Amino acid sequence: MKETPNFSGWQAAILHREDGTTERLERQLKLLGFCVTQQWAALEATALPDIILVDADQGWDDLLPWIGAEAPRPLVALLGSEAPGRIAWAMGQGAGAIIAKPMAASAVYPALVMALGVHTERNAVREKLLHLEERVRLRPLVHAAVQQIMAAHRIDETRAYDLLRTCSMRRRLSMEQVAASILGGAEPLPEAI
Amino acid sequence: MGTTTKIGILYSTTGAYGAMGRDGRDGAEFAMAELQADWGNRIEPVFVDPHGNISDYLDCARHLLRDAGCRHIVGTITSLARKEVLPLVEKHDGLLWYMCPYEGFEANENVIYTGACPNQHLIPLLDYLLPRYGKRPYLVGANYVWGWEMNRLARELVVDAGGEILGERYLPLEETAVDRIIAEIEQRRPSFVLNNLIGPSSYAFLRAMKQLSLRDEKFTAENCPIVSCDLTECELGEIEDGSAIGQLSTATYFDSLNSAENQDLRRRVTERYGAGRRISNVFASAYTAVKLCAGAIQACGTDDPQAIRRYLSATSTSTVLGPLRIDPDTHHAALPFHLGRITADNGFEIIASQAAITADPYLTGRRSRMPPQLRVVS
Repeated sequence: MKETPNFSGWQAAILHREDGTTERLERQLKLLGFCVTQQWAALEATALPDIILVDADQGWDDLLPWIGAEAPRPLVALLGSEAPGRIAWAMGQGAGAIIAKPMAASAVYPALVMALGVHTERNAVREKLLHLEERVRLRPLVHAAVQQIMAAHRIDETRAYDLLRTCSMRRRLSMEQVAASILGGAEPLPEAI
Repeated sequence: MGTTTKIGILYSTTGAYGAMGRDGRDGAEFAMAELQADWGNRIEPVFVDPHGNISDYLDCARHLLRDAGCRHIVGTITSLARKEVLPLVEKHDGLLWYMCPYEGFEANENVIYTGACPNQHLIPLLDYLLPRYGKRPYLVGANYVWGWEMNRLARELVVDAGGEILGERYLPLEETAVDRIIAEIEQRRPSFVLNNLIGPSSYAFLRAMKQLSLRDEKFTAENCPIVSCDLTECELGEIEDGSAIGQLSTATYFDSLNSAENQDLRRRVTERYGAGRRISNVFASAYTAVKLCAGAIQACGTDDPQAIRRYLSATSTSTVLGPLRIDPDTHHAALPFHLGRITADNGFEIIASQAAITADPYLTGRRSRMPPQLRVVS
């Protein structure tokens, strides 16, 4: 880890019945610089905190305002139970780390750092996946543009592909975007080298 | 209180960091002797010694907490040992008095921290070194959490300041084969060396660097100092030939401190141990922890950890480390920073100091950063 994680000024929400655990958790979170709220009621989707800690022993599906594991914020599960169903519930909500109950003070900071790391990593993977899906979707355009270049310059497919790629690099656009412009007539055919 | 209050003293007097453990135990014992002179048998130490075996720490702590009836334990030197005994201290709702400099990132309700964490040692140290010696250090460390974390943070601070790390190497505890590291330092020519080695590794490294400086004056203590965060008076005798003269170390206490409290302590230590005895940060910190603990127990009329914690955060106590108060949130003491240069007679000449710095174990105050604006990906 290059940079020391710093949660100073962050908002944390504890979704847990108020008890000894929440009291100690709140103390530890404040120590780390968090502004802390505690509630045992569904969280509003419109005002999400920066990080959420949820009671996975008693949590129910509508407690968190999202569906499935694509949590829009880092999520930490507070878990005393070992029941597979409860662990599955925590994972199903998108928890990136678990703090075991009864809670040791030393468990809090590592869980937060890990949940944040997992969340960031998942976002990056999701974004990359969307990007790749988009490119796959547009792949027929690239193929069509290559065919046009091959016919116009009487060159083979490899050279036509190279021309399109060089053009996209010069224009700093994706090959799919350049291909779409060529096919739409907005872009002249790249000159043969 | 009519009954005897027992305080556990947990140090390893042998093993890789035995020199520090012996000084810690001496400091605690000396404080106890002074206390007993006033209080008689109303207070009593219980000494245990795990001899540097990490697996024996738990048994020692169990003996103190369960069999001997101690609610307070002064001791442990390494973070490994502290982490080993902490769950048991928590279970018995005791208080561990941890008095060594450490790498931070802990704030346990069952610990009173009177040892410095990085914003009290490493950060002021680099603030001092970077403008004076340059921003291209070489990092060495013991191959465990102290070395790793100190060097990780040093790297972050140096890079933030626009510098670069010329190398980073680790040695197992007690490893003394330092030749490859020395060769790399000779070749890369850093501005200074941050030394987070401990015990015999550290002594071997300092000796080998001295030899290097005799071959190449770029590596004298004036040109390329070796800077430690935990090298104290109690270890200088172990480094033969005065190899460490001129090198630097940080501490919350040096024997050469000129305060009235320290002159008084030095006089009493000389009476007990003779004129040659130098007081180290370890001795002074263990001494202070025992005195602070006993003083709080006396003032509260109980050894109940909750009462003791409340008392310590409400009261400032005059000590050889300066006036000491424990932060009610982090349970850490605000501590002064001193930088010392090793002298020919195994002491330190203090070359820079800062008044008591509030501990920031999780480094939340160093820079406040807004949470990242997380994009919603649908």
